[in-house]
Amino acid sequence: MKIYQNTNEPIYKQIAAQLREQILTGQLQGGDPLPSIRALAQDLRISVITTMKAYEELSAEGLVTATKGKGYFVNAQDAQLLAEQHMRQLEEHLTDAIYSARIAGMGLDEVQQTLAALWNMDA
Amino acid sequence: MKNVIEIKGITKHYKDFTLGGVDAVIPCGFTTALIGVNGAGKTTLIDILCGVTGKSGGEALYFGERRDIDDPALRNRIGYCSSMNFFPPNWTLKTIAASMELGFDNFDRARFTELCRRFKLGDPADKKQKKLAKLSDGNRMRTYLAAVLSRDTELLVLDEPASSLDPLARDMLCDLFREYLAARDGERSVLFSTHNISDMENVTDYAVFMSHGKVIAQGFVEDLKQSYQLVHGDAAQAAKAKPLMMTFSGNATSFEGIALVEQADKLRALDTAVEAPTLQQLSVGLLRKAEQDE
Repeated sequence: MKIYQNTNEPIYKQIAAQLREQILTGQLQGGDPLPSIRALAQDLRISVITTMKAYEELSAEGLVTATKGKGYFVNAQDAQLLAEQHMRQLEEHLTDAIYSARIAGMGLDEVQQTLAALWNMDA
Repeated sequence: MKNVIEIKGITKHYKDFTLGGVDAVIPCGFTTALIGVNGAGKTTLIDILCGVTGKSGGEALYFGERRDIDDPALRNRIGYCSSMNFFPPNWTLKTIAASMELGFDNFDRARFTELCRRFKLGDPADKKQKKLAKLSDGNRMRTYLAAVLSRDTELLVLDEPASSLDPLARDMLCDLFREYLAARDGERSVLFSTHNISDMENVTDYAVFMSHGKVIAQGFVEDLKQSYQLVHGDAAQAAKAKPLMMTFSGNATSFEGIALVEQADKLRALDTAVEAPTLQQLSVGLLRKAEQDE
């Protein structure tokens, strides 16, 4: 895991994003334990409350569950839930793209063309 | 969430200074920083909590069940370290190890030797030993810290542990705090005082701000950072922005200060830079406001 210390992105969000990705890509699977909050804080050399906040955010999204006295575990991800999560991420990224397009004065046509070009390049 | 200490209305009257009434909690399983300028009452509060000095009123509840700080069983669970001369000046690593071993059944000599090595203090078993009085302030504090961290305790209370340390030793102190907490997840806590939080930001979970003998704010750092915003703006907007801000300082070019997050949208509308403060920036803002209000 890697953390940027000097950026506007809060550290807890960076941790949550990296764990979220590991869960959504299946690197972390249902039933897998997350590192203990204080062990992760020690390894990343950050405060306990920051790691705790990252875990709470993932818990609120239904990706992990806290078990009293045992720590956090990854929830089993059913296919539909996973698809929804990816859909949500897609919407987020597209919203960013639309924002940039508006600043650049691009119309929907142009954005669609760009998307199609990128899509084909990647395929 | 459990608290390791609950402080209820603690007061102490001196001729020229009054502490309190202090109401605060120290959450269990976290590192808490007691932040304030010199003379704010941090040391007095710590000394009362550790039973080094008496109080005029109020009470403290430890570990959710204990009230009597003079009880040796309670004291055994707490590792206390003052910033003043903690051991007699003619003591050495060797005599410290011997006396700690006698005084505390939870003192771990092997751990002390290891910490002395990590702090580059030498070996407590060596024949040739340096007296504490001959050490620099920084090395003396390292010695105290090595001693207090060699006991298997549940709570560390450290008065200004970082102020005499160099940047590398401070960095190590942060690691030692995290190591201490992680060794027994959720059961151990750290309370330390400081007048300069900047090197300790990444280890501080909960902050208690003190000014003129009183607690002026407290909370988990992540919550505090979301409650306040750091504002920078152009001098042209200063007059409009000032009433929306908690603290304000400006010059002919620009202005800056701290504002409550509720005012963020209005301040952004004035074309200001609004961002989350660091704990250091927040501390300066809150302490400055307390000085102005006094």
